Amino acid sequence: MVRKLLTYLTFPIIFVWLLITSYNSSRRKPDSVMELFTDLSWLNDWPKWLDIPLMKWINDGFKVFNEEYGIYFEIVNNFLLGAILSLKKFLIMMPWPLVIALVVAIVFFSSGRKLGTTVFVGICTFFIGFLHPKFWDKAIETTSIMIIGILICIIIGIPLGITMSRSNRVRNAILPVLDLMQTIPSFCYLIPGIMLFGLGAVPAIIATVIYAVPPLVRLTDLGITLVDTEVIEAAEAFGASKKQKLLGVQLPLALPNIMQGINQCTMMALAMVVIASMIGTRGLGDEVLLGLQQLNVGKATEAGLAIVLLAIVLDRITQAYGKKIQDRNSPPK
Amino acid sequence: MKLINKLLAVTAISVALLPGVVSADCGKARLADFDWSSANVHTAIVGFILEHGYGCDVEVTKGSTTPIMAAHYDGQLDIVTELWYDNIVANYDPVEEAGIIRNLGINTPDSQQAFYVDKTTADKYNLRTVLDMLDPEVAALFTDPEDPSKGRMTSCISGWTCYTVNYVKQKVYGLDNYYTNFDPGSGGALDAAIAGAFAKKQPIFTYYWAPTGLMGKVDLVRLKEPPYNDACWGAMSEVVETIKAEGKDAYTATCATEYRDMSLDKSVLVSWADSHPEETAFIEAYSLPTAMVNKLLAFYEDESDGDMELTALEFLENSDDWKAWVSADVAAKVSAAL
Repeated sequence: MVRKLLTYLTFPIIFVWLLITSYNSSRRKPDSVMELFTDLSWLNDWPKWLDIPLMKWINDGFKVFNEEYGIYFEIVNNFLLGAILSLKKFLIMMPWPLVIALVVAIVFFSSGRKLGTTVFVGICTFFIGFLHPKFWDKAIETTSIMIIGILICIIIGIPLGITMSRSNRVRNAILPVLDLMQTIPSFCYLIPGIMLFGLGAVPAIIATVIYAVPPLVRLTDLGITLVDTEVIEAAEAFGASKKQKLLGVQLPLALPNIMQGINQCTMMALAMVVIASMIGTRGLGDEVLLGLQQLNVGKATEAGLAIVLLAIVLDRITQAYGKKIQDRNSPPK
Repeated sequence: MKLINKLLAVTAISVALLPGVVSADCGKARLADFDWSSANVHTAIVGFILEHGYGCDVEVTKGSTTPIMAAHYDGQLDIVTELWYDNIVANYDPVEEAGIIRNLGINTPDSQQAFYVDKTTADKYNLRTVLDMLDPEVAALFTDPEDPSKGRMTSCISGWTCYTVNYVKQKVYGLDNYYTNFDPGSGGALDAAIAGAFAKKQPIFTYYWAPTGLMGKVDLVRLKEPPYNDACWGAMSEVVETIKAEGKDAYTATCATEYRDMSLDKSVLVSWADSHPEETAFIEAYSLPTAMVNKLLAFYEDESDGDMELTALEFLENSDDWKAWVSADVAAKVSAAL
């Protein structure tokens, strides 16, 4: 009872504290507090002193953060940039027919040797360069950034999804964070990203991860939760440990859902390509932005189509693999 | 119930009392304002002086260049306090010739765009002109993480004319052998890159311009280039236009000079100016040096909590520059209102 009362009391206290802080920190308050009671004109328009100094708190905090810990971000930056650059160098060095052949081979085997999909994806890949020779290298740059971004998403997202599926408490704590990540405008974290990591691909990857990881987390969680309780009971009956249950039963059965999550993650990452180019990231988004700034409709559309083609290729690869697993898992008809 | 009635009555009275200061002899002054901070500063200061010094009923309309200027040409807005004249010359001149508006001269005499290096690095390595940058050791200070063989010159936004101008200048000065012409993608990103480098105390070599709020907060040193001359600028502009149309391979050798300082002017409706000679004389005299605008913008961004009126007050309280623009009794009235 007392505890409950205390919790109820905390909120008003915090609220009053906020009111007082905002009044005290404002530069446009009346000369004395008493004026508030004698001159009631502040009830008319929203008074200038009724303003939480959140902006100042964030700015000051960020400044200290940047000055104190900037060097660690530098290390992360160099590491990620190294990874992107070597991947990009490798892919650009390869002759383009070989890259197309590689993509075709990947699709062929991951889709379970479906000829139609394979041919379609091959044609799409060819058309990226066919639209404009410049697009080939740009598409590879975009792809390398995406691959690194998606790898980070997988490393973070799947374990997080698994933890969520195991505990309701963790889920309740993480869900609002995921909502925040999906709704907060990306520019809010792009600008501090640049100040921490410098211009270029790395802040773009961080932004991509923030934007694209939520569906993967959600779908991993959902996939594991949806595994039949009967199957789990059966596994328990055979004396499976928690780890065996997870690796041997839950994860394989949740794999179609997880693959769907990776697919969604990829698509959302592609949606960030143009925004990423606004912070100095090279790639296809760059061309769209250039078309926009020069009022060149043709250029922007051409580059936009190239992004769509890249999306189709990546979508088919991830989708086809997920479908193959699903077919394998479902009971034979 | 009685208390609420009393409250309402007091509120009603205070509302009625608010616009009591307007005097009859000025009447309305309709100010145009734009969606960038330096224009907002000028409008806030001019607005405050007109309102409290001349008793005008000031009305501010804010928007982007095209609609606001259209309204000004149309006679709906009396005063424009910051006009990017060079950008809109083709539209502005015919209206001025028709006798509808009048250009009242420059509001910021020394606005600039140029190549800059942070002061710490510039002093340490004695970097004063762009030619001082032509040194592999200096270039190594600014290493571009995406192309470590060169230094990074953070440039203008690709797609803007200045990006291509910088490209041509780099070629002419020989900077392209040592530096990349790095496109930051957007104006906000360029600002953030400069601010980030200063926060982490890293060297930065960048293209930038003033007056801007950031210029008031960081210490950038302008690198000298060959002085501006029309013939050379014209020749360079031709190459720039060719490259914009045909791509980077279209570069041909040319000469290069520093950017011409932009002309930031003030403008007024002729009909308003004729009926308000004193006020017009004040606006004509109004002019702030770039360093002061930078300082005010920095104050606006960091200390005022985004309050432009407070920024105008900060200037009027702490500087006497403005007293030269107005007569003594107007100055006294403004001072009294502070």
